[in-house]
Amino acid sequence: MAWVTDWAAVIRLLRSTSLRLALTYGAIFVVFSGLLVSFLWWRTAAVLDREINAVIVADTRAIGDRLRDFGLSGALQTIEQRVRQTADERAIYLLADPRYAPVGGNLSSWPAEVGEKPGWYDVDLIREGKRHATRALHVVLPANFHLLVARDVQDRLVIRGEIVAGLIWGGVAAIVLAIAGGLLVRRTVLRRVEMINRTTAAIVHGDLSRRLPSRETSDEFDRLAQTINAMLHQIQVLVDGVRNSSNAVAHDLRTPLAEVRTRLEDVLRNKPTTDEALGEIQAAVAEIDHVIAVFGALLRLAEIDSGARLSGFRAVVLAQVVAEVAELYGPVAEEKAISLTVDAASEHTVQGDPHLLAQALGNLVDNAVKFAPTQSTVSVKVERRNDGKVAIVVADRGPGVPDAEKARVSERFYRGRSVGETSGVGLGLSLVTAVARLHGGTLELRDHAPGLIAELVLPESGGTKA
Amino acid sequence: MKVLVVEDNQRVSQFVCKGLREGGHTVDHADNGRDGLFLASSETYDVIVLDRMLPGGIDGLAIIEALRRTKNRTPILILSALGEVDERIKGLRAGGDDYLTKPFAFGELLARLEVLVRRAQGGGAETVLTVDDLRIDLLAHKVARAGREIALQPREYKLLEFLMRHAGQVVTRTMLLENLWDYHFDPQTNVIDVHISKLRQKIDAGSERPLLRTVRGVGYRLGGGD
Repeated sequence: MAWVTDWAAVIRLLRSTSLRLALTYGAIFVVFSGLLVSFLWWRTAAVLDREINAVIVADTRAIGDRLRDFGLSGALQTIEQRVRQTADERAIYLLADPRYAPVGGNLSSWPAEVGEKPGWYDVDLIREGKRHATRALHVVLPANFHLLVARDVQDRLVIRGEIVAGLIWGGVAAIVLAIAGGLLVRRTVLRRVEMINRTTAAIVHGDLSRRLPSRETSDEFDRLAQTINAMLHQIQVLVDGVRNSSNAVAHDLRTPLAEVRTRLEDVLRNKPTTDEALGEIQAAVAEIDHVIAVFGALLRLAEIDSGARLSGFRAVVLAQVVAEVAELYGPVAEEKAISLTVDAASEHTVQGDPHLLAQALGNLVDNAVKFAPTQSTVSVKVERRNDGKVAIVVADRGPGVPDAEKARVSERFYRGRSVGETSGVGLGLSLVTAVARLHGGTLELRDHAPGLIAELVLPESGGTKA
Repeated sequence: MKVLVVEDNQRVSQFVCKGLREGGHTVDHADNGRDGLFLASSETYDVIVLDRMLPGGIDGLAIIEALRRTKNRTPILILSALGEVDERIKGLRAGGDDYLTKPFAFGELLARLEVLVRRAQGGGAETVLTVDDLRIDLLAHKVARAGREIALQPREYKLLEFLMRHAGQVVTRTMLLENLWDYHFDPQTNVIDVHISKLRQKIDAGSERPLLRTVRGVGYRLGGGD
């Protein structure tokens, strides 16, 4: 059983990306080391071989030429000279007659290892009782004389051995280092991956507040950690949003449903006259309509948040949207003796959904008119801001929004403390914010002292004016 | 009018059928897509109320497409729990004439059905519309009550024209928003009421017989008895 587990462990190890990486690097390293070794061999040991071969060939040629030009005595003279020149006894010459009987040179007899076939030999030759490892060339000269020229290659063999050994050890060391380096890399990588793993596992188990540690080195892992952390932050914001809004939904719907329930149970228990009962039922229907309106607003928000409306985007002239909305709300303002002024002369265009923009602006104007005192002014303007974006600015002289609440009024179902009991479902500004977000913009609230300035900031499209 | 209701939810269909019959209309009912398509293509109706999602393998959109392919032009109102804009557009593109999201008020449904039937019966070629002693000249853009000319703002004029084209019928707030402003959302405050009351001041001011009436809980009606 034990070896089975071991194999499983080995397979698991082999599946590890970092090990595969280490092994791949090791393999590439070995291949390149092999190429380097071959090159070195070619430039060192093989050069020695080639040099010796060249010398031997030159010798045989020279002796052959002498034999042809000056006869046997000339050849013998040359051999004699050469033997004397190479006092270190590294050079071996043997000139033999057609029956392989020695004629001249420093070898006592034609070596059996060389035989009758001309060509290159690597043989041990014994000269004056001393064994020499040699490289030898057997050539047949004119008149069927045989010439054997050899060089002692003992030194060269030693050098070659040294080089080969060096290369082998170097190669082995390189491979060992490659594997060790790979494993080291693997361990480092694995540690960071393991860290990411542990944190994300904790998050999976519900601890959304956890974040990946960062080493502040801005290496790839740090960048990955930062990206993941940013993602986690966004997820947490969304989850909190969902949590808060579902709490708010539950809370906000409970109240009207409780009222409906009480009303209907009251009818059941007290058995009033038909007219009274009908009145109560009508009131209940109105309350349920309110609940339906809340649901409708929530579904619309969800629809906007999902981005499904992006397909309906086109070039929208803001002045047109403003004019239509102002026209829709004009009579309402008039009824409260509020003067609704519009300043949207310039033709700013945005890419967007005209219906959503109209609804968002409608909500802002609705709020402004709702909260503005009589005889005051609500102004709607379209203007380009310093940052190059366009803004639809709705300013009123109402009670405004305290700084502490500014960030919160866009939350779903949030109603300002100062607002008290006004109609509406508490989703108006949430919708404006959602529409702004869908269009790549924002909703900004500022003090008008007194009053509120709401700016729906949108990126202007450079496109054609529709 | 003769109405076909194709709706699988029993309570909703009973509610709709009963309401329509009480209003003196003839109603046929199918509770699945196959029967609905069969009835719609074999009988002649003034208008069809069609649920978007139906059992029986044929859903609402498929029925509309099948009918329109056979050149059946009966007006169709789609009922659906799917309120998203995309769904509305899909329904209208398939050949539906109007779209009403569940839950709905019966008054809203009835008002829309009457408008659909009236529209299908033609008309619209008139150049002058009259209701009682109220008269609108569509070519000259002139409005007069009992011979006295009334000056209206452009939007008031459009509002009045729409109401006069549907004289005697109930017109709901959402219908006005959709038809006159092309807005498919709830503008929170009852802005429509204010527009109506402004118009009412101009056409009914000082008159013995107010023509523009509020139908409680549903909408408005111009002329046409009590």
